[in-house]
Amino acid sequence: MFREICGRGALRIIRTIKGENAIGHAACWLSGLLTLFLLLFIVIFLVLKGIHAINWDFITSDPRPSLNQNLTGGILTPIIGTFLLVVLGTLFALPWALATAIYLAEYTEGNLWVGPIRMGIDILSGVPTIVFAIFGLAIFTNPHLSFFSTMVEEVTNAKAFGRSFMVSSITMSMMVLPFIIKSIEEAIRAVPSAYKEAAYGLGISKWRTIRKIVLPSAISGIITGVVLGIGRIAGDTAIVWLCLGGSMTLTGTQPWWHPQNWLATLQNTGSTLTTYIFYSSPAGEGNSPDKAFGAGLILIVIILALNSLVDHWGRYRTLREE
Amino acid sequence: MEQENASVLIPQKTSPITSFYTKPRKPFKEIIIERILLLLTILSSILIFFVMFFVISKAVPVLKASGFNFVFSGGWDDIFSKAWQAGADQPVWRFGALPLIAGTVLATSGALVFCFTFGLGCAVFIEEICPAWLRKPLKSTVRLLAAIPSVIYGLVGLMTVVPFISKYLISNELSLRMIKICILDGTSLLAGIIVLSMMIGPIFIAMAGDAIKSAPKRYKEASLALGLSHWRTIVKIILPAARNGIVAGAILAAGRAIGEAIALSMVTGSVANLPNPAHGLVFFLEPVRTLASTIVDNAEGMSVAACESALFACGSVLLLTCVLLSLFSRIVSGNLRQGGASNN
Repeated sequence: MFREICGRGALRIIRTIKGENAIGHAACWLSGLLTLFLLLFIVIFLVLKGIHAINWDFITSDPRPSLNQNLTGGILTPIIGTFLLVVLGTLFALPWALATAIYLAEYTEGNLWVGPIRMGIDILSGVPTIVFAIFGLAIFTNPHLSFFSTMVEEVTNAKAFGRSFMVSSITMSMMVLPFIIKSIEEAIRAVPSAYKEAAYGLGISKWRTIRKIVLPSAISGIITGVVLGIGRIAGDTAIVWLCLGGSMTLTGTQPWWHPQNWLATLQNTGSTLTTYIFYSSPAGEGNSPDKAFGAGLILIVIILALNSLVDHWGRYRTLREE
Repeated sequence: MEQENASVLIPQKTSPITSFYTKPRKPFKEIIIERILLLLTILSSILIFFVMFFVISKAVPVLKASGFNFVFSGGWDDIFSKAWQAGADQPVWRFGALPLIAGTVLATSGALVFCFTFGLGCAVFIEEICPAWLRKPLKSTVRLLAAIPSVIYGLVGLMTVVPFISKYLISNELSLRMIKICILDGTSLLAGIIVLSMMIGPIFIAMAGDAIKSAPKRYKEASLALGLSHWRTIVKIILPAARNGIVAGAILAAGRAIGEAIALSMVTGSVANLPNPAHGLVFFLEPVRTLASTIVDNAEGMSVAACESALFACGSVLLLTCVLLSLFSRIVSGNLRQGGASNN
């Protein structure tokens, strides 16, 4: 089917544009369609392989260690782990990113040192997540920060464990920070300056103008940034693998759903959908690829849904601007 | 006395009035808020220095003991297991990461070659050639591909690309012949290159597409008006005009490829093997391991100080490379803004 469509496209090009470079056109068509088919291939492959694994039991039961693939349980705790990380990571990252974006967009006129600040944030966005992961470990294994995880018992030199939901969500928030800042700053800059001038003309102070006029006008862009950050947090594996550890279930005091155990859960380890996929795939130790495909399908549905949400908000914004 | 008093009094009386007219004072609350925002902004900008400081300071013992041998000598796996088993009284500090660095460079450059050829074609296709009805779905496709988590690329690569390679490219005789050097089971440099180019392709396409779109319209119009064909305009006018943006996109994609850990740890075999070019095309079928995936694979070694320091040394090599790439990409795209299009 792939070859047929490519062949037809190439033929049509050769027929329609005589005298132009048919080979170049064909190559461009080929690579364009290749990209399209790559996405279709990945999605269809995941759906075909993963749809059998998904049922109510798969979503609502805990993972269990077993050599028999049918007995390895479900993905309840990985889903909860992803949810926890997304919520906590966003909670840490959003106020910080919002403050930075507001400052960069509104308070920096004529400042010379804004160049270096921007450069720092720019470079931060190019740092690999694995480096953030070992950075998180290096910071939070410090015994003074043992509140964020648990202490390691029975070692000569005191050391915090450095792996917990809190540690990984703080590390995640550093990782997504530059992306959210960029997105929010663009949104704030896109607010028409007439709004601000009208507010200043009415004698409203700068901060009140930002709070009451600028931020509400930029809300769709802010949401876009947050959703992009959520997608990155939900899709990251390296930070989770190093800063949350490889245990599949929640290791805090059980039962974890009791409110008095929530803090313990956050101080202990668990898993997310991404580490579940890594662990269950033949590359990890679980060796239950069907479950990995099921979890992969759920993860990709979440990511695609988030992205179409962003698309929707973006379209809404451009429509309104017109 | 009275005169002095008067001369002191007069400025005190007038100064608030003059300062009110020349420079209105901000309310206290505004100043506080501005200071808080400034503090958080500076914090997010110096975060990179924190990251560098902590990662490199943990790596110092190994980097100091190994010196340049960290980059130029091999045998990572042996040394690592030796350091893992060594007692606390005689730790092993000298590591050689040549195979890891070679693996990183090979996988990244291979993926860049792949994604440059196909990605540039795709970007030109999206921006210039493709029919209007196809443009929107294609752009969404590129964006969605860029958003797919790396572990899913790893999983799909492990279940499709790796079996394909082991079935069609590796014969039984070949794997028997190579058994003394490494095990050929499909997890290989080639699989890594393919998966990596799938991952970084969308990023490159998006950046190159933006660059092509922002090439001045009047260049294209002038070229078409002079009677050049559309294709010739693309090759001779638009692509040279968008050159800097395309290079910046490639650098960004390279940074992403260098730092990719999980997907590569799944498909490249997780053996710190230095592929030997003397083996001909089998070179591409040999397992490798990159710096980033080493940190994931050997993460359990973190409890031994020497191993931990060695992994942080890998991390600091990665970090410095990525920082340099970011700076370089900034310089290149800075040229773009200054009108790099008109310089030949």
